[in-house]
Amino acid sequence: MAGISTASVKTKGYLGALALISVLLGLYWGLWHAPPDAYQGEVQRIMYLHIPSILTAYLSFFLVFIGSCLYLWKREKRDDILAYSAAEIGVLFTALTIIEGSVWGKPTWGVWWTWDARLTLTAILLLIFAGYLMLRSLTEDENRAASAAAVLGIIGFLDIPLIHMSVYWWRTLHQPPSILRPDKAPWDNVHPAMLTALGINFIGFVLLYFYLLSQRFRLGEINEEIKARLLSRNH
Amino acid sequence: MRLTVRHLAKAYGLLWALKNVGLDLSAGEIVALLGPNGAGKTTFLKLLAGLISPTTGEILLDGSNFSRSAAVQRSTVGFLTPGEHLYEDLTVRENLIFFTSLYGKSRTIPQIDGVLQEVGLHHRSGEYVAALSSGMKCRLSIAKWKLLEPGLLLLDEPYGVLDGSGIDLLETFLKTQSQKGKVVIIASHHVARVLTLCTRAVILHQGGLTFNEARQQPWDSFTRAFGEFLPHGES
Amino acid sequence: MNFLNQTLLLLKKDLILEVRRRENLLTMFFFGTLLLFVFHFSFDLVPERVVEMAPGLLWLAFLFTGTLGLAQLFEAERGNHCLEALLLSPMDRGALFLAKTAFNFILMVLVEIVVIPLFWILFNLGSWDIIPHLFLVVLLGTIGFCVLGTLLSAVTLKARARELLLPLVLFPLMIPVILGTIRCMEAILRAGELGDALPWLRLLIGFDVIFLTVGILIFDWVIEV
Repeated sequence: MAGISTASVKTKGYLGALALISVLLGLYWGLWHAPPDAYQGEVQRIMYLHIPSILTAYLSFFLVFIGSCLYLWKREKRDDILAYSAAEIGVLFTALTIIEGSVWGKPTWGVWWTWDARLTLTAILLLIFAGYLMLRSLTEDENRAASAAAVLGIIGFLDIPLIHMSVYWWRTLHQPPSILRPDKAPWDNVHPAMLTALGINFIGFVLLYFYLLSQRFRLGEINEEIKARLLSRNH
Repeated sequence: MRLTVRHLAKAYGLLWALKNVGLDLSAGEIVALLGPNGAGKTTFLKLLAGLISPTTGEILLDGSNFSRSAAVQRSTVGFLTPGEHLYEDLTVRENLIFFTSLYGKSRTIPQIDGVLQEVGLHHRSGEYVAALSSGMKCRLSIAKWKLLEPGLLLLDEPYGVLDGSGIDLLETFLKTQSQKGKVVIIASHHVARVLTLCTRAVILHQGGLTFNEARQQPWDSFTRAFGEFLPHGES
Repeated sequence: MNFLNQTLLLLKKDLILEVRRRENLLTMFFFGTLLLFVFHFSFDLVPERVVEMAPGLLWLAFLFTGTLGLAQLFEAERGNHCLEALLLSPMDRGALFLAKTAFNFILMVLVEIVVIPLFWILFNLGSWDIIPHLFLVVLLGTIGFCVLGTLLSAVTLKARARELLLPLVLFPLMIPVILGTIRCMEAILRAGELGDALPWLRLLIGFDVIFLTVGILIFDWVIEV
């Protein structure tokens, strides 16, 4: 992740511009160009946003994991910054995913919320992120907070596959199959334009995520720099 | 046992508790660690004990870097703070059995009773630590370290709670440690007392080392250095 | 002193202290029993619905009771900075983790031994034959709870609002254990055996093994003075 921090403002500008273009292109493709879904109609279009954002949320947690492992191993401040920056942006994307899922759910199922596997898992992910960030802010002493959060990040990441399995089993074994199959991704018998739309949006979201991450990371670095300077001034 | 400290520093948040301390101690030294309140004496001792990690600098025990995770190294360092590190709800004897076993230096009951006899606690060996006075708790700590025989013994203000015979007991013990080639560092405000015992005096002021000399007769340099900290005189 | 002996030494010390101070076990007992009464009043447990709701209610009771125990887990080390004394020693940190996990496990099992039969009696659940099978499943779930709980209890040791923070970080991560234990208990109550619920049992065992291993390896970085 050294690349992100040492990247010049120009590079980050390019990243941001690229992200913006991809997202706009993706929105056009998804909301206009691709045909509406055979069963769900227009409301299905929100999947072009929903699926990429949940994938980025999981990517986020993976970065929290990497940052946490590296921090416990090398004790370099920048790995800690990566971890909590990824967590913060991750919360954003997870919350977004939930809202999008809810917006999709209302016309489809008639309710704002349902305990289906995907929504439940996203809500759990949000809770884990929130717990991570709360632990960080409530622990006194910077270094202890970083270590504690790193341990939680690792435990959380290792637990997520288990949580995933258990929630899916619970929901698929106990709910009758429905035409809508909310836990099934829409790749079967899918119009190529829909797949393209999905692909573009996915790229757009990932670019957007890394752009936001790089900015947050830089902010964290500046913060550390200020502290280090104040510290050496006191010496 | 040789102890070398280089560029040791510890910062809490934006304040330095200890700044750039360097020290070289050879076997058999008894060091008086002096300085006003808040000078950093306790921080220094805790760093040497491995209870906290330095912000910068290194500590070498017998030439090798002191690492908190090295169990072997941890077993050679002792820390005596009156009233601390004793389980109130275990008896005098149980505390000693527990700690000697924990350090892998199990002793037989007769051996433990022998040491309790030496510190004058034998008649109270079956009582809970909670029932002991602070002076007796300190004697128990002395008994503990007599049994564990650390290569480096750190004492934080041991004189305050001990009576006359207790002080004699402590000093005899420390002299024996020194004769066996071990290193002793005593942080204390009882300057006169500790000066008669020590082979070297070290003064900390606002986190920095301002005096470090082996004992000599007369010790005018010490009197001068120390006099700077006594606006109203301390004996 | 080797790893296992250190663990046993630390565990023995905690058990002796518990017997003398009697802080944790009694409060956990009473709290667990109290919850059963609260559930009765809150949920209108008519006989037909009790069997359905029993696993969930029982496990909820154990979760809350266990959390009480977790918050107190390192209390014995607080007086006289004894945690410092332990960290000063050549003790393997993993041994401390295992000892604390085992200690909390023993406390919870003692509570469960009383609460499960009590639940049976209070809610007239019928035949007692399946209690041993049920108990085995509860044991596996309890191991998972104690392992993860001890880890997180240590992680949150220096946080403010610790009593609130610990459940907040613990409960989402406990979901596989909660789901797994309850599904297995349901199967046993319904059919007297696991049957379809076997995958859940495997999940439970997997969870226990993974986090026990992780805990032993990682505790060095978790516990600091």
